[in-house]
Amino acid sequence: MSFLLSTLRRRLSLKRLQRRGGPRPKSGNGFRRFWSWTALIVGGLYFFLPLIGTLEFSLRMRRGEYSLDAYRSVLEDPRFQQTLGYSVIMALATIVVGILIVVPTAYWVRLRLPRWRPVIEFITLLPLVIPAIVVVFGYIRLFNTSSFLPMTGTTMGTNILLMFGYVMLALPYTYRAVDTGLSTIDVRSLTEAAQSLGASWVTIIGRLILPNVFGAVMSGAFLSFAIVIGEFTMASLLNRPAFGPYMQILGANRAYEPAALAVIAFAITWACMGLLSLVTRITRVGRAGK
Amino acid sequence: MSFLELQNLEKSFGDTRVVKDFNLNVAKGEFISLLGPSGCGKTTVLRMVAGFEAPTSGRISVDGKDITRLRANQRNVGMVFQSYALFPNLTVAQNVGFGLKVAGVPKSERNPRIADMLALIGLPDLGDRYPWQLSGGQQQRVALARALAPKPQMLLLDEPLSALDAKVRVSLRNQIREIQQQLGITTIFVTHDQEEAMAISDRIVVMHQGVADQIAAPQDIYNRPSTEFVAGFVGTLNRLTADVLDPETGHIRIGGSEITLGQPLPAGRVTLSARPEAFRLAATGIAAQVTKVEFLGALISVAAQIDDTPVSFVLFNGGDDPVPEPGSRIHLQIAPSRLLIKQAA
Amino acid sequence: MSQKFGWNWLGVVPFLAFALLFLMLPTMNIVIGAFRTPGGGFTLANVQGLFSPRIMSSFILSIQISAASALLGCLIGFAIAAAMVHGGLPKWLRGPITTFSGVASNFAGVPLAFAFIATLGRVGLVTMLLRDWFGINIYAMGFNLLSFWGLTLTYLFFQIPLMVLIITPALDGLKKEWREAAEVLGASGWQYWRMVALPVLFPSLLGTFALLFANSFGAIATAYALTGSTLSIVPIMLYAQIRGDVLQDPHLGYAMAFGMIVVTGAANLVYIILRTRAERWMR
Ligand SMILES: Nc1ncnc2c1ncn2[C@@H]1O[C@H](COP(=O)(O)OP(=O)(O)O)[C@@H](O)[C@H]1O
Ligand SMILES: [Mg+2]
Repeated sequence: MSFLLSTLRRRLSLKRLQRRGGPRPKSGNGFRRFWSWTALIVGGLYFFLPLIGTLEFSLRMRRGEYSLDAYRSVLEDPRFQQTLGYSVIMALATIVVGILIVVPTAYWVRLRLPRWRPVIEFITLLPLVIPAIVVVFGYIRLFNTSSFLPMTGTTMGTNILLMFGYVMLALPYTYRAVDTGLSTIDVRSLTEAAQSLGASWVTIIGRLILPNVFGAVMSGAFLSFAIVIGEFTMASLLNRPAFGPYMQILGANRAYEPAALAVIAFAITWACMGLLSLVTRITRVGRAGK
Repeated sequence: MSFLELQNLEKSFGDTRVVKDFNLNVAKGEFISLLGPSGCGKTTVLRMVAGFEAPTSGRISVDGKDITRLRANQRNVGMVFQSYALFPNLTVAQNVGFGLKVAGVPKSERNPRIADMLALIGLPDLGDRYPWQLSGGQQQRVALARALAPKPQMLLLDEPLSALDAKVRVSLRNQIREIQQQLGITTIFVTHDQEEAMAISDRIVVMHQGVADQIAAPQDIYNRPSTEFVAGFVGTLNRLTADVLDPETGHIRIGGSEITLGQPLPAGRVTLSARPEAFRLAATGIAAQVTKVEFLGALISVAAQIDDTPVSFVLFNGGDDPVPEPGSRIHLQIAPSRLLIKQAA
Repeated sequence: MSQKFGWNWLGVVPFLAFALLFLMLPTMNIVIGAFRTPGGGFTLANVQGLFSPRIMSSFILSIQISAASALLGCLIGFAIAAAMVHGGLPKWLRGPITTFSGVASNFAGVPLAFAFIATLGRVGLVTMLLRDWFGINIYAMGFNLLSFWGLTLTYLFFQIPLMVLIITPALDGLKKEWREAAEVLGASGWQYWRMVALPVLFPSLLGTFALLFANSFGAIATAYALTGSTLSIVPIMLYAQIRGDVLQDPHLGYAMAFGMIVVTGAANLVYIILRTRAERWMR
């Protein structure tokens, strides 16, 4: 913060010097820059204070001194390990199934059904409009034990249902990521070239299209991971032992552990987004190098 | 006194000096072109005049008033960009009326002015269209009308024709010149196309690495280039080396042939620079072999080799005169008055 | 259709089956359920039940919180994005701001509630600092994290970065020449924004607002972890209803879910209508 402030002050004083002597600076630039830094600093305060506050709070468990007790308590809790493990597996399954559904569809729409694109895109955006709680409510009613597809009747069935729910939640992001990735390559010529060499569809998608949109697929994957890992509503209403409901229960019963959990969750999100921007940068560099 | 004066203008970005000691006086109503290769600083000069870049040092004045520190929105200049830069959310009429609207001109005065401007650029019926519904040439004409509508004291154009195809380019450049003369508006026109600059300018500033190499009327730039760079950049230039056999009479040898120029020359080796139109066919002279002939209508463009040195020249199409055939051997005479002669190293 | 496309449509059958089974049929099931009696007949009674004072007030509170957090999120996010793109800030700041926005916009749900409790709760860092250093006791002044403003403030943590992420490309799309053309025509900075930049951005702004609105209208985890069931916003009431049928009448749950779809759907409908009107100048 102090670094930002001092930079700001330096810029302001520089500006004043320029006004007095020297040539005129570009119109209104100093004024604009002042407000820019103001917006940034206010925003920075709003976003960093909760993070600092949480970190500080998570270290307060032992009276009178800072300690890692809250983290120890969380990490040693077998339910933490179980629920996090469950959510990680769900996230990975979501990513795999999401890729299997989204990549061939986006590819096929670009290759053969360009007129369907608005429709498909509209469907992929629906999860942003229909609240997740409504959808999961529908799941409970539609897939109950007396229905045509009694998925909620068995544990495995419910797990699979939850996983499809997660694929649906992540759909707007994964589809857009993959579709943007596809837009950077010439789907049609690549496909025709491969077909003229006698490649099968599986080969074309698996060996040709997927590697070319690898960066986009990975972006979608990390985003899905970040969404799934702490998801609460669906897991809770389907009664699955996921990380989100665990955090909520812990929050209702403990004081310092939730803060430690929040720090851990933030670190996981940060790792996902960091990997995402890394992948984006690498593939962009790779493409620019070609 | 000149209308627009640029005095000792300098501009540096970081450590690179992009414009160096630039001086230019423009008379009222004059059409000036800034001509030079890409990256030589033309746009930077124009942007300093417009008020988008502050000069590192130097002075810009209009009508005797120093405007160096005035903001762009207080300079009352019109500007046309290479990319048209029409506001996409406004109709053609609203675009043209933009300058008047921000100046607070009431609608009742605005509308006739907009109609006048649209008539001036020859698009009287397109006022309700949006920019995307127009061709590139139409968009650029609207941009011109928009720049002119608030009656600016000068007009700045930054490569306004570069994004257009060849045919539109020629007709629009003529239209720009006509409108400029009709309004008598002082104009600076930036281009990297020498033919364009030649065709429409009162005077041309040839720029090279941030420096104004020569400021002169088109024919002077072409016929009497003041530097090697100007000579090479403007028009085609044939370069020949010759051995001077008799400095008094100007008797020289080029390749295997000898000719007499009839004017004193320095002794030793010289470089001759000649425009395409300095050559003519003759019965005797410099022997050459024709490699390519292009029939252009009024002119015939011929490429030939004098030993290993390529030359290109033009002949008037005299109707019944024989046209040289590719592969044939010819003889060339050079008009001494059209030659630039330099002692070779 | 099959003559025109041959058998090509077969390629999207898996996707359509997935969307039908896990998105559209469940939603339809709820919508239909909202108009059904327990016996299976048609009724409007469930929907009429929404107009009871308790449910109405929860809808109003939800809409208020969503509108406030979406509006503030749009304004502040826009300011930050504009500062980043056009404000003359150093270029290197862009990467970190974008990455951080990605993180923060995904840092929703339960942990976000914990973070705000640790910061602005009764013993949170900022609460304590304000009390000990400046003598300001925000709780004595009427602030409460488990309230309209508390929840709005918390939601802004993911709303603002979402706005930044969405609006930055739109701001990048504003050409430098537009600004310069406006300036050289005599326009002030404000006139340029009012007459050119904002109208050009309007569809994006509107779309983002609708998205942010739906985003917080459907959010449960944060509010639930923050307030338990003390703040009766619609998703929390629906959550409780699904868990334990607290409303006595199970079909009222359908009606509430239907009401939620109506609200987010209406927000998006308004967006689509306004957008088509704003985009007459577009292709
Ligand atoms: N804002 C800027 N910052 C740094 N360098 C610049 C900037 N604008 C132009 N330049 C540099 O100044 C030189 C001249 O640019 P410009 O005036 O645009 O040339 P021209 O219009 O003749 O092509 C170029 O080398 C260009 O890279
Ligand atoms: Mg230029």
